[in-house]
Amino acid sequence: MQPLVEINNLSIRFPEGESSFDAVKKISFTVGAGEILGVVGESGSGKSMSALALMGLLPRDAEVVSGEIRFRGQDLLAMTDAERRRLRGQEMAMVFQEPMTSLNPVMKIGKQVGESLRLHTDLPAREIRERTVAALREVGLADAEAICERYPHELSGGMRQRVMLAQAMITSPSLLIADEPTTALDCVVQAQILELLKKIHRERGTAIVFISHDLNVIREISSRVLVVWKGQIVEEGSTKEVFSSPRHEYTRRLIASYPAREPQDGKGKPVLRLRDLDVWYETRRGLFGKKGKKQVIRGVSLTAREGEILGIVGESGCGKSTLCKTILGLHNRYAGTVEVADGARPQMVFQDPAGSLNPARTVGWILEEPLRLRGISDREERKRLVASMLKEVGLDASFAGRRPRELSGGQRQRISIGAALLMDSRLLIADEPVSALDVTVQSQILALFARMHRERKLTILFISHDLNVVRSLCGRIAVIYRGEIVEEGRADDVYEHPAHPYTKLLLASVAGRRAAGEDGRGPERPEGAGEAFLGLTDQKTERAPEGCVFFDRCPERCASCRDKRPDPTDLGGGHTFRCRRGQPA
Amino acid sequence: MKRKKNYSLTVGGTLTLVFLLFALVGQVWTPYSPTAMDSTAVCLFPCAAHPMGTDNFGRDILSRVMEGSGSTFFVAICTVLIGGAFGTLIGALTGYFGGRADNLVMRFNDILLSFPSILLALIFVSLLGPGRYNIILALGVLFIPSFARIVRSEVIRFRELDFVRSARIMGAGPLRIIFFHILPNARVSILTAAAIGFNNAVLAEASMSYLSLGIQPPDPSLGRMLSEAQSYLFQAPWYAIFPGLTIILIVLGFSMVSEGLRAIRE
Repeated sequence: MQPLVEINNLSIRFPEGESSFDAVKKISFTVGAGEILGVVGESGSGKSMSALALMGLLPRDAEVVSGEIRFRGQDLLAMTDAERRRLRGQEMAMVFQEPMTSLNPVMKIGKQVGESLRLHTDLPAREIRERTVAALREVGLADAEAICERYPHELSGGMRQRVMLAQAMITSPSLLIADEPTTALDCVVQAQILELLKKIHRERGTAIVFISHDLNVIREISSRVLVVWKGQIVEEGSTKEVFSSPRHEYTRRLIASYPAREPQDGKGKPVLRLRDLDVWYETRRGLFGKKGKKQVIRGVSLTAREGEILGIVGESGCGKSTLCKTILGLHNRYAGTVEVADGARPQMVFQDPAGSLNPARTVGWILEEPLRLRGISDREERKRLVASMLKEVGLDASFAGRRPRELSGGQRQRISIGAALLMDSRLLIADEPVSALDVTVQSQILALFARMHRERKLTILFISHDLNVVRSLCGRIAVIYRGEIVEEGRADDVYEHPAHPYTKLLLASVAGRRAAGEDGRGPERPEGAGEAFLGLTDQKTERAPEGCVFFDRCPERCASCRDKRPDPTDLGGGHTFRCRRGQPA
Repeated sequence: MKRKKNYSLTVGGTLTLVFLLFALVGQVWTPYSPTAMDSTAVCLFPCAAHPMGTDNFGRDILSRVMEGSGSTFFVAICTVLIGGAFGTLIGALTGYFGGRADNLVMRFNDILLSFPSILLALIFVSLLGPGRYNIILALGVLFIPSFARIVRSEVIRFRELDFVRSARIMGAGPLRIIFFHILPNARVSILTAAAIGFNNAVLAEASMSYLSLGIQPPDPSLGRMLSEAQSYLFQAPWYAIFPGLTIILIVLGFSMVSEGLRAIRE
């Protein structure tokens, strides 16, 4: 059978003055009709370029040097623009990573989704409208009629990504290219979108090229996988084969990504103790507006003991970062107590490596600053300490003369960690420290955290939305939902016997865990749970302010949950959760 | 990767340097004394002895332009220094701390900015009396708001970034954060503002001297030369052309420098 897409010896180059940069080097691959092909690689590896070339959407300064792209046997590069545009509208579609910027903010959803029908067919307006509504329903947006009248900013990230999918699927293309479609989304929403893609594939037989840096996602969705590294395909094969016996060095590094967890007894004395912490922001609209209060953290009590890595897990907007700021004294609108042990000097490692180092200073200056603040006035002494710290975080002394913009994301995170350690910190608060990094770099930074923890008996508060990462590092975890801790306990207990419905939902959403079910960790998601997943995001708030935080999304709720916040139930061994089901009625 | 050549900065910088040198030399040496009159050489056409010609009193225009541009540079640099130093200080403090003081200072700023600065300078000078130092004082004070506004917005932009948070967590005090952590990042913006401010100062000084409120005779000044040349526009056009050209080129040079700086920032 003829493959749907055939790419032969494709090379793409970015000319830059006299020199040039080869983004894609003689790549050849095929996409069969109705298959899901995963393309994995880190940022800058060229994995998106071939897909963009296929769509005819290459950046203006890119140049196709050689090769051919055939779609159903026709050479795309030889086509006229008009022919290619028609093909693109009817046979191919693409979904991008950023759901906010890929929808037009001033156009109503209904109009955007129907746009390609309006361009490529001469259907009457009513018919287009009907198909639009149907397409939106198909991607799990139950209230499709109303959504047609809304603008993109009124929707959540997950809903926007669904709209993108509806827009892509409305012309029933035979090929869908998805470029990191779930990267910007929370874990639960990510799982929903993956389910949706699988459903589309199953029901319509659409071929999907799924591009991602996330191995777990690739493993879950695709049947065949290409590993792209530095513009070349270094490995190709069925997903099962590639994952079980990777041949290329890079693939091996990619797969063996997480360091093994160290045993942590968690019996040290408390370094950080939070009691009944409430945190809020003051809101004020305009100069004369009324003051309001937006509660972000509610009734959080948490203890971190010396020498443990405590993981805090939750989706974006759950108050994780506010919690950090409060502990570090950067935010003072709170009630309750925050106790930090004497001499702990809590320091922070931020998520975004681009903003966490001063762009106007050299690395040496940045690392010397904590020493200056500690009162070490001898310059030679400071330089010596900086040089040895650079070695300790896996860089070398020559880095002192560089500027942050010359460093990669991973190197910047190393500098951040080094700066915190030079402050002689005993408590490190890491807010999503690896989520902006590539997978292989992630594992290096996680290993650095683990080593620092082992060698210095550091206490680390590790905040993340990524359950795989947390599990690989943390001894104990606390799960946060909308500013409340819903479950807390030893990592193994929580992962293997989750008690709160939210924790169960999170764990069921972890990509890779479903695909690699054979490793026997935790509960498998039951058959058909994917379908139940699909409608969860667009529910309205019904709960009373005093009710259980998880009420709106809870699959196991009952009427009393609406009005009363459950007390914590102790399962022994420090494993507690807050749900009515664990309590005597 | 190759960096694109920054022509604006090179050409502008060269132009500015040439005129700065011209003005500096003028402070220690001029072909003739700028104030020496020669009744035998009145309104001479530019020639080898007088490359820019002479004026109605027979004074050498080249010598006068050299010394006059010295005053122009002096006034403009002092003005920018006063405005820049106080503006940066006010902008940085109000931007970092925010709150009521910030609101108050910035509204006052807006009021000052809403008047044409030359008008305010005129009022100032008519109160203080004309003269080189009064002009510097008047223009310097008037330049504070524009610097304050630029620095303030830069400080606000950086205030919320993680590296500033990180410095706070390490226990750096607010002044240390403002001056050692944030302001180095605002360098280019401040320099750009200074280049624009310099141009405005050159033009303001020229216009005030033109209106006889600036540098007083017999000291030469470019603006005053223009106003005196008016009566001889047809008889000795070079009298107006050379001082005018000098002003234009100084301003052009600095404009190109600020353009180049903006390119660096982006």
